[in-house]
Amino acid sequence: MSRKLHPLLPILVIGSLILAACSGEEIGGSPDGTDAGASPTEAAFPEGDIEIELWTKEGDPQIAYVEALADAYNAEHPNVTINVVNKDVELLREDLVNTALSPEAAPELVWTVADHIGPFTSAGVIQELDGQIDTSIYEEGALAAVQVDGTTWGIPISNGNQLMLYWNKSLIGEEAPADTDAMVAAATENTGDGNFGLVFNETESFWLTPWLAGFDTSVFAEDGVTPTLDTPEMQAALAFLYDLKYTHEVMPGECDYPCASDLFTGGSAAMIVNGDWELGNYADLLGDDLGVGPLPTVSSTGSDPAPYTAGSFYMVPAAVEGDALTVVLDFMAWSTNTENQIQMVEELRRLPANAEALEDPIVTDDPLLAGAAEAVQKGTPQPTNVEMRCVFDAMNTGIREVLGAGNDDFAAVTATMQEAADNCVATL
Amino acid sequence: MDVDRSVSALTEVFFTLAVFAVGVAILEGILYLVLVRWLKARLALPILLIAPAFVGLMALIFYPLLWELNVSFTNMNLSRLCDPGIPAGIFTECRGQNMFIGIENYINVFTRPVLQVAGFFQIFWQTILWTTINVVFHVGLGLGLALLLNRHLRLRGVYRALIILPWAIPQIVSLAIWRTELNSEFGMVNQLLALVGVSGPSWMTDPFFNFFAMIMVNVWLGVPFMMVILLGGLQSIPGDLYEAAEIDGASSRQSFRFITLPMLRPVMVPAIILGTVWTFNNFNVPFVINQLELETSDTLVTGLFRAAFQYNRYGFAGAYAFVIFAILLVFVIFYIRRSGALRGVHE
Amino acid sequence: MSQTTVPTVQPAAVAKPSTWRSSGTRHDSPLKKAVIHATLFLAALIAFLPVLRVFSVSLRPNNRLLSRELDFIPEGATLGAYGHVLFETDFPQWLFNSLLITVGTSLVGLIFAATSAYGFSRFKFPGRGVGLTALLATQLIPATMLLVPILILAIQLDLIGTYRGLVIAYSVTSVPFSIWILKGYYDTVPIELEEAARIDGCSQLEAFVRVLLPLSTPALAIVFLFNFLAAWNEFVLARVLIGSQTELFTWPLGILRFQAQFQTQWGDLAAASVLVSIPIVALFLYSSRWLISGVTLGGVKG
Repeated sequence: MSRKLHPLLPILVIGSLILAACSGEEIGGSPDGTDAGASPTEAAFPEGDIEIELWTKEGDPQIAYVEALADAYNAEHPNVTINVVNKDVELLREDLVNTALSPEAAPELVWTVADHIGPFTSAGVIQELDGQIDTSIYEEGALAAVQVDGTTWGIPISNGNQLMLYWNKSLIGEEAPADTDAMVAAATENTGDGNFGLVFNETESFWLTPWLAGFDTSVFAEDGVTPTLDTPEMQAALAFLYDLKYTHEVMPGECDYPCASDLFTGGSAAMIVNGDWELGNYADLLGDDLGVGPLPTVSSTGSDPAPYTAGSFYMVPAAVEGDALTVVLDFMAWSTNTENQIQMVEELRRLPANAEALEDPIVTDDPLLAGAAEAVQKGTPQPTNVEMRCVFDAMNTGIREVLGAGNDDFAAVTATMQEAADNCVATL
Repeated sequence: MDVDRSVSALTEVFFTLAVFAVGVAILEGILYLVLVRWLKARLALPILLIAPAFVGLMALIFYPLLWELNVSFTNMNLSRLCDPGIPAGIFTECRGQNMFIGIENYINVFTRPVLQVAGFFQIFWQTILWTTINVVFHVGLGLGLALLLNRHLRLRGVYRALIILPWAIPQIVSLAIWRTELNSEFGMVNQLLALVGVSGPSWMTDPFFNFFAMIMVNVWLGVPFMMVILLGGLQSIPGDLYEAAEIDGASSRQSFRFITLPMLRPVMVPAIILGTVWTFNNFNVPFVINQLELETSDTLVTGLFRAAFQYNRYGFAGAYAFVIFAILLVFVIFYIRRSGALRGVHE
Repeated sequence: MSQTTVPTVQPAAVAKPSTWRSSGTRHDSPLKKAVIHATLFLAALIAFLPVLRVFSVSLRPNNRLLSRELDFIPEGATLGAYGHVLFETDFPQWLFNSLLITVGTSLVGLIFAATSAYGFSRFKFPGRGVGLTALLATQLIPATMLLVPILILAIQLDLIGTYRGLVIAYSVTSVPFSIWILKGYYDTVPIELEEAARIDGCSQLEAFVRVLLPLSTPALAIVFLFNFLAAWNEFVLARVLIGSQTELFTWPLGILRFQAQFQTQWGDLAAASVLVSIPIVALFLYSSRWLISGVTLGGVKG
């Protein structure tokens, strides 16, 4: 054995000599410019070479659109290079939060989901954008998703992320069920023989949230931070889901996201509750058989469900300043102008955040996008504070207890949910 | 495969190892000069031999432990994300706020919920259940299979090779398989149950069945290792003992009771200690099988991971980690005293 | 953390041919034999079935696995997923990265352990007992306990997104147990052999390198194998230290990526699993006879 080790030593030594030159690779940090002042509109566009690192949650194939944006901007401003780096959405959150400990590792710009605002503001790693950029061009609901207590922390790129009802027209017909009674009736007709009337991800509380408005409640009290989960309305919402599964028996056994999605795309499920992010995929797979619209009105209350809306957003790390900040602000405004937003609708099939682009025929004349737009309009911005994380986790235990374990003691379930949320909020 | 990428990976790994080698050389040089040339110490050689590992372990285990101990006295969390460093204690500040909170975290470990609702003692109880059931099955089934395989038997090698598979397959692969096969609609487990007319349970959301599934998967994973160890032990028992016993008219049950078990003891005792510690500390299985984070399936170590990485309660997680460590230490010391294993340490 | 790290080696057992005389082998009735075979067959089936199943999934014609069929050769079976994984994803890159890191760190860990174990085995010095006990105590630390401090340390030293942190961590973490295994082995090699070499004019270090190390080849090989497997299969530390750049991933991180939350690439996942398991399983089966006769926990008992 020892004899075999000897040849390694010279390799190590030679390696160390050669490689000393190519070790540490520095990523271009923000150039240390002087403070350009609060209003970038007055600051002249910087002259020197500027490198911008952009972290995006968009992976294949959507990242191509982000890269195209970066290239187009570079064509207009040859002194600016934008490096697009894809990061898995959870990793992106972790990495940016960690920049609280090493600010020099932060990029100049981030493209991510709205619910990261809670952890990001809590850890102090992104900056306020009020007064730095014109926010009047964005649809109000989209912008509200990145505002906390009147402070704007991000710039909306797309609008949506809302849950909708997708249905298979060959089974359900042209029109969606108007209310939940009709939905149950249609689902019952299509259940049996390994087929199911209705499927959705039964394991995540995100799929519970739209129904809360349908039962006239919400997760927070007036103050927007105190969880209110132990309510009769919440119990009614859980009972509604319980009945779908155990009384009307129109849903499969334990079904998570891939299970529900595959049942629907495989033609074994007539309806699915799922997010707008699947619109392009489902349209490809089902073609003309796909119907899309808002979730049906809850028959017992007459109220409409309100899915959470979020979408994708730009956020600017706290340490970005000077010329880099000027460029970043300009890039955000440019990339979300009407023209670019219409381009995005074509490429990504996502609803634009730009109010003017939302009215464009490309959206209004497309039945699927129009259905999605109608669903967004009924939505409510997803709360962005850190407490929301506690609420999601607490409701997860609830929906799993009710739909997974078949517990119908709803009062006990909501009491546990409330306790879990309160415990979590107390540790923040 | 990208050639540039591969070359740069190659260079990076070798560069790091080279820096390592240079560091070791410098360390050894200094120690040599000090100990041999200057102090002329009699025991210079063992110190020179052990020094690199010692320094490495100090940096990678001792320093992090010390850091963790220090953090356990602070309220470091997402909104107070500052490195308290070492030493810190009462002087620790984060963005102008004092972080030092004394032993509050240690009190909270026992009085407040660890994650959502479940308290420390509930999770501790689950961990004891998890550990005990697993070790009993590992040793019981492992011993049974080892005894069967320790015979003249046709196809013995084939059985052994197949039974060893769960140990041989990379754990991340087998866990990915199990997670898929436990899907209640499409997984193999429920489909096989359906063949015999049983409607399969919800393995991911039902608390009882999720815990059951965790144990089932871990037994599947852990039996081959125990079997291999015990088979090694069985084969080192001299055959003459059995022959002598047979001549004296001992039944095979008696041979097992009075020869096999006592002779296996030196192998079995450390195997049980290690098996217990590993199972207690097993992170992968409970974490992957309990993907939906049911608190009823949490063990102390998955709770630790989630408190730190999901809830970002670094201070609390630090205190909680030391409590877990203390529990294990007490168990191991107690068991070693009782069983007389590890006599060799101070020889 | 991983179950593959620990056993120790006894030279007597390694050297010994496999003798499996045992109780009652000669008097087994045909019925008893049938029961034994049935039991072993069942055990082998349970061990093997999930593996067979992943192979069958890897042959399915589309990536959207979920189907209720139980056939082992699925309808329209194809090797397409293998081609896709091998030629159209980063999977070969991930395997290469893993192999590189694993071989490098296993060797370095082995060198550290081999020399330190010699120090512990052949010298009596103050703190020796404490040191050995401390090494054993490190095995009690839950891996997750060190994760946060190591993460913070790595952030501050700018090691995230590089292999530097990972290489250092893997090289060091396997050392305590390797020391125990090797010390146990060295202890059983008669010291007279080294003394004879010293009479012939070797220094103590030369006696170690020329006499003891060659005699310890089986133990060194086993330690290398266990270090290799531990590093090869590790993913929690890798997840923390490598960060988010996919081209830097080791294969476990890559496999986890195939199993993304919303769009699991079932065919890719299964094919990659099969590909990565084959060499490891072959290695295991190749060394299994030797593992079984050679691996006992004897070193720990002193």
